[in-house]
Amino acid sequence: MKNIVIKTVGALGLASAIFLLSSFIKEAEVSYKCMIQMTNYTGEKAYVVVSLINPEGKYEKTLYIQGDDKEWFPDLKNWWNFTDGIGENVDALSGATIGNGERNVISLGFNASHIDAGYKVRFESAVENQEYYAVDAEIELNSATIKDKVNGKGYIRYIRMVPNR
Amino acid sequence: MMVSVWRYSHLVFAIASSIFLLIASVTGVILAVEPILNKIEPYSVSGADELSLAETLGHIHTKYEEVLAVKRDRNGFVSATAIVDGKNDEFYIDPFTGEKLGSLIQKKPFFQFATNLHRSLFLKSTGRFLIGFASFLLILISISGIVLIAKRQGGYKQFFAPVVRENFSQYHHVVYARWTLIPLLVLALTGVYLSLLRFDVIPDPKVSLQVDFDSIQEEPIREYTQFDLFRNTPLSELRELEYPFSEFVEDYYIIRLKDREVYLNQVTGEVLAEEKYPGLQVMSSWARVLHTGEGSIIWSIVLGFGSLAIPFLTVTGFIVYFRRPKTKIKNAYAKHESEYIVLVGTEAGSTLQFAQEFHKQLLSAGKKSHLALMNQYSLFKKMEHLVVITATYGQGEAPASGEKFIQLVKKHRQKQAFDFSVVGFGSTAYPNFCQFAYETHTALEASDKGIALHEVFTVNDQSFESFNNWFMAWSKKMDLSIHLEKPKLLGSSKPASTFKVIHKAELPEEDTFLLSLKNLNGSKPVSGDLLSVVPTEGARERLYSIGKVNTDTLVISIRRHDKGLCSNYLHQLRQGEKLTATVVNNRNFHFPKHAKKIVFIATGTGIGPFLGMIQENVKRREIHLYWGARTKDSFDLYKDYIDKAIREGKLTDFKTAYSRQQAEKMYVQNLIQRDKDLFLDVLKNKGCIMICGSIAMQKEVLEELQLLSNEYLGKDLSHYQNRKQIKMDCY
Repeated sequence: MKNIVIKTVGALGLASAIFLLSSFIKEAEVSYKCMIQMTNYTGEKAYVVVSLINPEGKYEKTLYIQGDDKEWFPDLKNWWNFTDGIGENVDALSGATIGNGERNVISLGFNASHIDAGYKVRFESAVENQEYYAVDAEIELNSATIKDKVNGKGYIRYIRMVPNR
Repeated sequence: MMVSVWRYSHLVFAIASSIFLLIASVTGVILAVEPILNKIEPYSVSGADELSLAETLGHIHTKYEEVLAVKRDRNGFVSATAIVDGKNDEFYIDPFTGEKLGSLIQKKPFFQFATNLHRSLFLKSTGRFLIGFASFLLILISISGIVLIAKRQGGYKQFFAPVVRENFSQYHHVVYARWTLIPLLVLALTGVYLSLLRFDVIPDPKVSLQVDFDSIQEEPIREYTQFDLFRNTPLSELRELEYPFSEFVEDYYIIRLKDREVYLNQVTGEVLAEEKYPGLQVMSSWARVLHTGEGSIIWSIVLGFGSLAIPFLTVTGFIVYFRRPKTKIKNAYAKHESEYIVLVGTEAGSTLQFAQEFHKQLLSAGKKSHLALMNQYSLFKKMEHLVVITATYGQGEAPASGEKFIQLVKKHRQKQAFDFSVVGFGSTAYPNFCQFAYETHTALEASDKGIALHEVFTVNDQSFESFNNWFMAWSKKMDLSIHLEKPKLLGSSKPASTFKVIHKAELPEEDTFLLSLKNLNGSKPVSGDLLSVVPTEGARERLYSIGKVNTDTLVISIRRHDKGLCSNYLHQLRQGEKLTATVVNNRNFHFPKHAKKIVFIATGTGIGPFLGMIQENVKRREIHLYWGARTKDSFDLYKDYIDKAIREGKLTDFKTAYSRQQAEKMYVQNLIQRDKDLFLDVLKNKGCIMICGSIAMQKEVLEELQLLSNEYLGKDLSHYQNRKQIKMDCY
């Protein structure tokens, strides 16, 4: 009898340990340092939002918002439809806007399972009373090419990413 | 003519921008609080500014593995951006330890709201333009305001001289505007500058440093704490330092100091590129700091008050404007059927009140009188008597409603002969007292049909008594028997109080008496205030100067007139009886607080308030009292008070002039020339001369003082009057 109890408890313990461990492994994050360098455009400071795009080309989640006044968020139309639609909580994700010619270095965290799995990081941008770029720059989450500099089409001159120490 | 141009533009710009300026100023006051709240946050570490960059960075590195940037803001708070647990975080640190002091100050939603309203009225670009334009108008309003103050004060040199008080709005509009002129101009100029910057009219040049990547060196390798720039630059010089993005040598430190931007090789510490900020960028940065007050509590407070001035000045400004007489004056008789024509030249409308009262009395006496503004001078077919009552603006210019008068007199030649009388209203505190009245007189004399009834009659500080003197003389000549009603006092009167008569001293042969009163309730007057007594219901009030001889006792000194309703009423009061009267604050005739030497000049019962003031002289300042009366006996009433004061050292000396005592008539004004050294000394050394008594004496005394002032001090007497060195209360 005793043995059975011990075995059961042991088995259950092991199973839950494996389960816990596996969930921990699943949740493992990979962190990248990312630099957003703006072009020398003229006008107000740009709003830039960084989102994770899944292999189907759909928004998965918001990674970072460069812009601290919610008043202007709807200007980033595509992203706003997504984030507002699912009621995503983005309060902790925003930082100060930067102006033309300036650069911003941020840290982006990814789920390890998303690396080399067809996911992308999208940068979209808007400036008050000026054009909106639905895809200003996009980087594939591919560990081989991620360090390559990617040029932007709009207010972003280029994006650089390196793994965090 | 010039005054009206400036004034007109001052008004038009104010109307055009008032709503926007009101919004901008109210939000501006709110926003002035923000930098103060930020500055008092506890993130400043004393002594940290003397640390070198090398030391600071070293301390930060002991705490955080990956640092992206270090900043020092205008409050002197140092913050670091670091990756903590894989996430970006920006927070204030203690530069001595690298320890986190707190999260970045988040702009409160309320301030964000105020900022948006302040900048753009929530109308985005349209709103930005409107606010920018209003700011530009504010510059124009300030400039026209400066010119108007200078005109009013009699020149730019007199700009900060005391302002003559006509009424609350006028006085405070000028006084507050002068105080807030500097912050207002700074706010307006920087506001326009920032708007132009927004709309890219002023370019915002950026430093764009070029790095020669081919010549980048990878050795000698040095520790960053050994880099010259880091070792030699104090933290106080730093604005922002960005770390190299990666460990490749092509990535470098970007360092923005107060005056320049530097790129630094991350391996060798060598300067890769360096440039001073362009002048325009420095200027833009200054404009921003001056406009927002960021980083300075004192300047924020100054700006806050400047902003607060706008609603105040707008309101008082419009009150001054709306108080001005409108050109519509209702007349029972048309100008061609009236024998009496009354013309008014008025600035703020107070002169009009006197003219209206005069006109009303003419009508009630059954005379055909027509009241008009001076600018409405034209042919008056049946005019026999012309009365011009006019004020003077600033340094001798025509008031708003009389600017065209002199030309009109030349243009419209009357067909019939008429007599005229000019009454000038003004204040002797301005140079060129009643100047425009004299010009009016000359112009009318020059027209062939006008016959002057008398010289220009001047009225100082809207004295009704003085105006009434003229009126009596004039109505006598006209053979009219009518009386003027005193316009309702605009001063600050307090509710009526009850007084008990505690003593009455009398000098029957001189018809003068001295009432000692005890205040049973109500207000606490000081010497120089007035007691308004209405003897019977509906009767005209009479004013008496109060002397406060001790905390409980007030004295008023009264001359009894045979038919005087009020003086006889007061005379029949017996000891212990009660009297209801109102105290009227007479702020321009209080005992001076600071003057070292003081001269009192009084005639007859005018000594009353001085009896009190002498008692107030607890500091034993030098007081000289000059008193004029008919005979020596008149003095008996006051003898005890004066003797006691001299014994106690509260009165330095007492000089008298008796007009009927000796063969040769002697008046107080004759003493001025004799004691001129004293008078010059008092004027020169910020002393004070106070005059109380009859208007006739006041005129004579002022003439004597004017002579002294011109001859020995080289200044117009108005200079001293304006500085409140001459105070008068005459009737």
